[in-house]
Amino acid sequence: MTSAPPSTEETAAGKPVAPGGWLGWVTSTDHKRIGLLTIGTSLVLFVLVGILALIMRAQLAQPEQDLVGVDTYNQLFTIHGSGMIYMVLTPFAIGMGVYLVPLQIGAPGIAMPRLTLLGYWLYVFGAIVMLAGFATPNGAHADGWFSYPPMADSVHSPSVGSDLWIVGVFLATTGSIVMGWAVLWTVLRKRTQGMTMLRLPVFSWSMVVTCLMVIGAFPALLAALVVLAVGRADPSLFVSNVWNIGYQHLFWFYGHPVVYVMFFPYLAAVAEVLAVFSGRRFFGYRGTVLSLLVFAALSMSVWGHHMFATGQAANDYYSLTSIVLLVPAGVEYFGMLGTILGGRLRFRPPMLFALAFIPQFLIGGLTGIMVGTPVIDYHVTDSYFIVAHLHYVLFAGSAFGLFAAIYFWFPKVSGVMLSERGGRLHFWLLVLGTNLTFLPMFALGYEGMPRRVWTYAAFDGFGLFNLLSSIGAAFLAAATVVFIVNVLWTLRQREHGRAEPAPDDPWGAHTLEWATTSPPPRHNFTPEHPIPPITSFAPLLDLRRRRQKEAADSGSRS
Amino acid sequence: MRQRHIFGQVFTLESIIAGVVFVVVLAVFGYALLRRRAGRPVDPSQRSERPRLESYYVGVLGAFAVFLVAWTAWQNHREHQSADRPPVRVDVTGFQWCWTFAYPQATERRSVSGTCRGDDLPTLVVPTGRPVQLKLTSKDVIHSLWVPDLRYKMDAFPHHTNTLTLTLDREGRWMGKCAEFCGHLHYSMHFWIKAVSPEEYDNWLHSGAGQAVAS
Repeated sequence: MTSAPPSTEETAAGKPVAPGGWLGWVTSTDHKRIGLLTIGTSLVLFVLVGILALIMRAQLAQPEQDLVGVDTYNQLFTIHGSGMIYMVLTPFAIGMGVYLVPLQIGAPGIAMPRLTLLGYWLYVFGAIVMLAGFATPNGAHADGWFSYPPMADSVHSPSVGSDLWIVGVFLATTGSIVMGWAVLWTVLRKRTQGMTMLRLPVFSWSMVVTCLMVIGAFPALLAALVVLAVGRADPSLFVSNVWNIGYQHLFWFYGHPVVYVMFFPYLAAVAEVLAVFSGRRFFGYRGTVLSLLVFAALSMSVWGHHMFATGQAANDYYSLTSIVLLVPAGVEYFGMLGTILGGRLRFRPPMLFALAFIPQFLIGGLTGIMVGTPVIDYHVTDSYFIVAHLHYVLFAGSAFGLFAAIYFWFPKVSGVMLSERGGRLHFWLLVLGTNLTFLPMFALGYEGMPRRVWTYAAFDGFGLFNLLSSIGAAFLAAATVVFIVNVLWTLRQREHGRAEPAPDDPWGAHTLEWATTSPPPRHNFTPEHPIPPITSFAPLLDLRRRRQKEAADSGSRS
Repeated sequence: MRQRHIFGQVFTLESIIAGVVFVVVLAVFGYALLRRRAGRPVDPSQRSERPRLESYYVGVLGAFAVFLVAWTAWQNHREHQSADRPPVRVDVTGFQWCWTFAYPQATERRSVSGTCRGDDLPTLVVPTGRPVQLKLTSKDVIHSLWVPDLRYKMDAFPHHTNTLTLTLDREGRWMGKCAEFCGHLHYSMHFWIKAVSPEEYDNWLHSGAGQAVAS
């Protein structure tokens, strides 16, 4: 039985929102738009809080400089670290999942799209609230990204910026948790026919594991922030040592898994790129998936290694769980190296960034084993050695994965190709800048330069390495300018219809997002662009092989 | 200087291991880059995994992890063996933004502090050859006492006392720093640690006129 729909009257309130306008974007329930909003917002913040780091490097270039005041400097490193961790690398990673996971599993959309959009809004408001601290009379929060009490209480950090920091981080993290649930639920419930768990692409698996950590560990940060907020209302809370050390435990229960949240999606993007540009499927798929799960499980038992010097943690236990991480990490390297060893390598821009990830992240990983050893950590913790280590993990590692992902998926997302020459220039400037900036910091920390210092004395002998590091930072700035110009120029050319259009699958890739148009239509797959049979975690590679075989067979028969 | 000695051993061994791993990975990486590039007559391998090789590899990694955990834990315990002789005790208090060193074993109450501005750094005086037990606490926020040349640091918490034992085997003077961010003047919260002979130390401690040593 059919019935006619009730007639609608044209009223202003009932008018549909134009999908192309800004209002259409910020109210969209299309996972691709929400994903792009998240990624775009985090890239803007990447540039903003990156500039804060450039100011810091300028201040540290020479001993006893007074380029920015000490209180300003303390705000800079706090918002740089908080911004990069809470507002850039975490949301970008989850945003990639929001965009790519439904496509990779052959779903028409994301589970819980409105909630996903809410997550994005919480993230944006959080970022704005945190940065608004700079507009308050005493400036932004100034106690580092982990903000231990009692330093962060209202007696020792009285500025409103500190309150805004708590609210901002709380909102943004809540947004990340909400989006994490949506992505996880999508993988579990919306896979297309034939897409078994062991046919999920490596990237989608990494998002499963990432979202498990988001869900399991991020609430601990919310709890820590509540402790801080209560303690700011009543500073007598922190008269009891239990709350001071308890905050650290709560914080690092979040603070270590978040490192892997900021790592797995980028690692998996690198894995996809390595496999595609090696012209073969990813080597050691099952081992890698298992190692990701083991990694995530261990990630929630290592937090105390950030507290070796507190004298109040079970150092042997946390050292054990931390050092054991080398096993799953070794398995991941086995997969990556195996892939390129049996490949036929094409050095396109995404591949360059993915290849550089391998040795550069290794430096971060190997020094990670060192700082997981208490005897070494007592000396180097809270020094520039840690700053070097964490930047090798998050910049030389994750950020290279981030750029590999951008160069790889840009044609799919935008429908046009990025300039190859611009990509190469960006790559070489970034490699040079990264290593010049962060390698000298290992030596600085070893020689005794504490982190979070506004300046250092001339007789300390830190001048040369700091100068080298600051010169490196200038290369990083140049690389980023090249990247921004390349992207904006290409998008502008697209407006004029002059950009090189991207085919459905410009790279000869493996996963389902490359079976649909570039950019994908509203519901991802259409009858003209159907989902191919899911025969493995690389269905498009299988499809090409089958067609080659058929062509060869029919060729031999005729 | 047991801390420095043990740190040196562990750091050297782990650096060598890390260096070897890095070079091996780099060699494999370089081989793939040179020999497997698209310009060369190579075909991509059809082999998607080698479970047997991988399980041996995991076994080796696991055994190595067990060795590393056990050996470094043993070194950590060696570093923290309690002294058999009655130690010299010093009460160290961090505050925004300097340090106070108090000597409860002195005949008269003796405590040394400073402002940590310019050259006004307090000096922690200790005897050589005798274990020195530092009772570490803070008046306000968390600080961290770090002597880079001794390769050791420990946090100073308010409302909590941490204990660390140092033995200095030669006379000298080294700079110490605050390693935990503690606000405005964190960057200049330095001090000196000065090791003198036991006789000189006893004279200084009990004479009450030993300010010359401490400055």
